[in-house]
Amino acid sequence: MVWYNKGVDLLTVTVPSRESDGQPYTLMAIAGEADVTNREDLRGALDVEVAREPHMLIVDLSGLRFMDSSALHVILQANRALDRHGGMMALVAPQEAVAKMLRLTTADRLVPVFGSVADAVAG
Amino acid sequence: MYREPLMPDEASTAYPNAFQQPVSGEGETPASAVKMTFTTNLTAVRGLVEEYARKAGLSEQRIVDLVLAVSEIAANTVRHAKSAGNLVIWHSKREIICEMRDKGHITDPLAGTRPPEAEALGGHGLWLVNQVCDQVEIRSGAAGTAIRLHMLLGGSRA
Repeated sequence: MVWYNKGVDLLTVTVPSRESDGQPYTLMAIAGEADVTNREDLRGALDVEVAREPHMLIVDLSGLRFMDSSALHVILQANRALDRHGGMMALVAPQEAVAKMLRLTTADRLVPVFGSVADAVAG
Repeated sequence: MYREPLMPDEASTAYPNAFQQPVSGEGETPASAVKMTFTTNLTAVRGLVEEYARKAGLSEQRIVDLVLAVSEIAANTVRHAKSAGNLVIWHSKREIICEMRDKGHITDPLAGTRPPEAEALGGHGLWLVNQVCDQVEIRSGAAGTAIRLHMLLGGSRA
């Protein structure tokens, strides 16, 4: 039985900026709803960017309406993989629902959360 | 009329561990309860809960909490139960109750009551549920799991 058939197709991931294209940082925007039913899509997109070994991977969450702990774990795994080669991840502009779960899980102590891309770049 | 399950005088010697006692049957849910069966349609589950909670008068902040809690339980069903899950929602003047059942078996009676390790890559789901709800009842055995999430109307917690 295939239990992971996609229930939702509401997750969109875009990468407006890549270090490997000469940009100062890699910027990935995650929008829609990220949960257990599409976490492999999220993992795939993050794996591609992590494999390019950016020094700074900024994840823009401003368009993300909902995130569950399954999606959070995918992000934390990517953060750990980045950390292994000296890269940094930053989360940017989470909506209130997402910001709250980042606080309650204390994930915001593992991955810094900034109000804007400019703030994340400034550190 | 809905009757609170598992009051002390109902404790059965057949279930020395309260965790293994069944929650009371669906017959006790009011006729006005809203029901839904889900597999991987979690967006629809979240949408239903959000709409119901708003009509029942739950504050916007607490709607966010309830939607997260229900979605985390449903995600557990998707991951572990290998069966469809059933959601029933109803409310009284005092609270909204979301009851969720599946055929999975939670073996740890304290699941979700302890914070995950700081760098844990799992185990946040039930912890989050316990953080954002006013009360969480979990009953689980070989026949399946039943979970009731209670959200007080007019109250606030998280």
